[in-house]
Amino acid sequence: MNIVVCMKQVPDTETKIKINPEGRGIVTEGIKYVMNPYDEYAVEEALKLKEKFGGTVTIVCMGPSRATEAIRTALAMGADDAIHLNDPAFEGSDSVTTAKILAKAIRDLKYDLILAGKQAVDFDCSQVFACLAEILDLPYASVVTGLEVEEDQKSATVKRETEGGIQEIIEINLPAVIAAQKGLNEPRYASLPGIMKAKKKPIKEMNLAALGMDANEVGEEGSKLKTMNYSLPPERKAGKKIEGEPKEIVAQLVTLLHVEAKLV
Amino acid sequence: MEITREIFWNVGSGVRIPVYLLGLIVVIILIYGFIKHVRLWRIGKAENRIDKPFKRILSFLLFGLGHKRILKEPYPGIMHLFLFWGFLALFIGTVLIFFQEDFTKLFFNKIFIFGNFYLIFSFLLDLFGLLAIIGVLLALFRRYVLRPERLDNKFEDGLVLVSLLLILLTGFTNEGLRIASTSPEFERWSFLGWQFNKLFLAIGSSEGSFESLHLVSWWIHVILAFGFIGYISYSRLLHLISSPLNQFFRSFSPKGEVKPILDLENAETFGVGKFSEFTWKQLFDTDACTRCGRCQDNCPAYLSEKPLSPKKVIQDLKSHLVVQGKSLSQNKDAEDQTPPIPGNVITEDELWVCTTCGACQEVCPVFIEVVDKVVDLRRYLVLMESKFAPEVKLFFKNMETNYNPWTIGFATRGDWAKDLKVKIIAEDKNVDFLFWVGCAGSFDERNKKVSRTLVNLLEKASINFGILGTEEMCCGETLRRMGNEYLAQILMQQNIELFNKYGVKKIITYCPHCFNTFKNEYPQFGGNYEVFHHTEFLWDLIEKGKLKLTTSVEMSVVYHDSCYLGRYNNIYDAPRKLLESVEDTRLSEMERKKDRSFCCGAGGGRMWMEETLGKRINQMRVVQAVETNASVLATACPYCLTMLEDGIKEKEMEQMISALDVAELLEKAL
Repeated sequence: MNIVVCMKQVPDTETKIKINPEGRGIVTEGIKYVMNPYDEYAVEEALKLKEKFGGTVTIVCMGPSRATEAIRTALAMGADDAIHLNDPAFEGSDSVTTAKILAKAIRDLKYDLILAGKQAVDFDCSQVFACLAEILDLPYASVVTGLEVEEDQKSATVKRETEGGIQEIIEINLPAVIAAQKGLNEPRYASLPGIMKAKKKPIKEMNLAALGMDANEVGEEGSKLKTMNYSLPPERKAGKKIEGEPKEIVAQLVTLLHVEAKLV
Repeated sequence: MEITREIFWNVGSGVRIPVYLLGLIVVIILIYGFIKHVRLWRIGKAENRIDKPFKRILSFLLFGLGHKRILKEPYPGIMHLFLFWGFLALFIGTVLIFFQEDFTKLFFNKIFIFGNFYLIFSFLLDLFGLLAIIGVLLALFRRYVLRPERLDNKFEDGLVLVSLLLILLTGFTNEGLRIASTSPEFERWSFLGWQFNKLFLAIGSSEGSFESLHLVSWWIHVILAFGFIGYISYSRLLHLISSPLNQFFRSFSPKGEVKPILDLENAETFGVGKFSEFTWKQLFDTDACTRCGRCQDNCPAYLSEKPLSPKKVIQDLKSHLVVQGKSLSQNKDAEDQTPPIPGNVITEDELWVCTTCGACQEVCPVFIEVVDKVVDLRRYLVLMESKFAPEVKLFFKNMETNYNPWTIGFATRGDWAKDLKVKIIAEDKNVDFLFWVGCAGSFDERNKKVSRTLVNLLEKASINFGILGTEEMCCGETLRRMGNEYLAQILMQQNIELFNKYGVKKIITYCPHCFNTFKNEYPQFGGNYEVFHHTEFLWDLIEKGKLKLTTSVEMSVVYHDSCYLGRYNNIYDAPRKLLESVEDTRLSEMERKKDRSFCCGAGGGRMWMEETLGKRINQMRVVQAVETNASVLATACPYCLTMLEDGIKEKEMEQMISALDVAELLEKAL
């Protein structure tokens, strides 16, 4: 079973994001980049399927040169090879354009399944893989917490989270695009021999030309979504602590709920 | 009448040939068994343990002949001392007789055991024989009547003790019967044999019965003694040879040092999964163990009812080594076909509950090393198999991304000092000391307060120091002890590069774990610094009058020794002197103190793991502290402070005791 895993490198979740002075992006200094946490579940699931059915796991990642670090992490976990879509022109692509670029790279690969994280924790758009499935004309399931591939590898049973904590169980034909949610598995920690081997595994770099695309199809130019400017969400105000006897506290609380929160 | 005795009296010198033949067979049996052990030790990798020969011989004299560590516990100490010296003296006496009979007398017709020398010789041998009997009786009483928990009784234990007693008793009946038959007055010097003589005379005898009884007793004595020698290589008696050798081969590296895995890039396996990945000395350790159980009595994991006993670990390794040795002799690839040691011979739980506190090694009379084995086996689990608890994975991930275990962005590492006027070395390299804050002092709310206190104290003493701020990374200590040597070395090397860049030479640390690592482990990678723990440094400032304490603080304080400061680096006095230097502060001690201190439960990465098995170690320590009636529990380590403060809260003992760093107490006295 050959599996493609789409992966993205994102700022570590502990990063304190600062907007750059032009208001057109974030300050990249002092940011540690990591593999998108949801993508870890996708990589792990791919490796488990490979262990069960055999085949290969190929990482496809779009990002600048620093993204090789995250690619190596996925290779250290056990993926076989990787395609790194790296071209300054790709920068600023919106979800649809990103999906188009990924589709170009994936289209010619032999695959039985495409796995990805349900969203990247940087922009949190959660759109790329719906778009990718549409472009490749494949079925799509997201927020997946369980994946059972049938023995014939032609279909799979998928568990997914829906609104209100309800679990949906669906059957899906393969190949399909499956986007992983936390809980799908417990991602492994790369062993040291794995890390060492990963240093020798092939990463195929592909730029705009290699994909056979034009500059006006990608990046900001090729995107319908235009970013006007960045701003931080307003800082949360400190909470209020009401002290005193229970009676007084209740009275104060009711007043506050009425006057300030305008709830009662 | 000449003052001496006839050797081979009654039995006749004709027994020489059969006795020496028997002796030869016994020695061959001994050597044959010993070679089998040598073969097992040779499964291990090479390791140099014969450097510093004089120190090694001294170690043998002091701890072997001198019983220095054994005597730390009076009952078993004296018991063993009597047994050891008793039998050693009797052995020497027998060798001297052998030497006279079969060398000086045989070739030169000269004897030297006669006259006054004979009398003293007889007296001393009887005295040491008596001591040996007392030793055996003490041992039998302890093992079968007192039955301390740490002793597990095997058949061979009883067999050995009973044969020792019989050898001694038959020795004295031999002497008594000989004296009773030959009745020379001067034999009063053989004071115990003389009593046996009187006993036999009192019973009385018919013609020749002493002689025939003597013959029986003599042969029992000889056969038991030879049996004993032959049994050495096949029983716990091996420790007669292996334990003194282990004291000779002991480690002279700093106690807190964990050996590096060299050449991580090209190695194929990491840590220890099979016996051939241990060093020969690590395997030798298992044969030096006498199952005395001192380690178990001092192990915080064992005492808190967790599934770990250092004794059991060593014994389990030993018994599996024997099995493995057998299959290896039949099939060279046998090792690859057996499941790895960690997880099978030693369970994962056993390995992960160890706090690496080092108490087991500190009390071991024969210097068996345990922590190194735990770390090596953990290395296999972590680096080869990625087998560990989810919280350990989180710890590794945090270290990878943010160089600290707290799941806080690395960019905020220096934020605790933002409102202080502390020099950041990147901005001003002109400092005498680097104040290494450490992860706890940088990220943990409680410990940040101690960092601020230290800044205040250093400033009061006009010390020119700086911090690294954002550039500081975890020193690597905890990663190392959790077995992640790869990540640890990355961080260590990055820190060394940073120190080189800023020309750092002198480091003051808040945390004993950082202190130990810089002092004892950074030299492995070419990082050599003068390292001070804050308690040492502050005491020096007070001694030199640079820091003056002017306020009295009325308080009763009990000091908790951090394992990494105390046991591993022998810093016991500085923190105590600091506390005593505060006017009106009274210092009390817990029973488990200094080199016998009881771990707070955080070492070896335990700080970052759930404590789901047994009792909570930190709570046990808090109870020990409360028993001293002190109102303040003073620490000198951020891990200890966190653990003990948590313990106080968990036990709801906030009204009785509070935890403070020594420096915080000092600040009150400024």
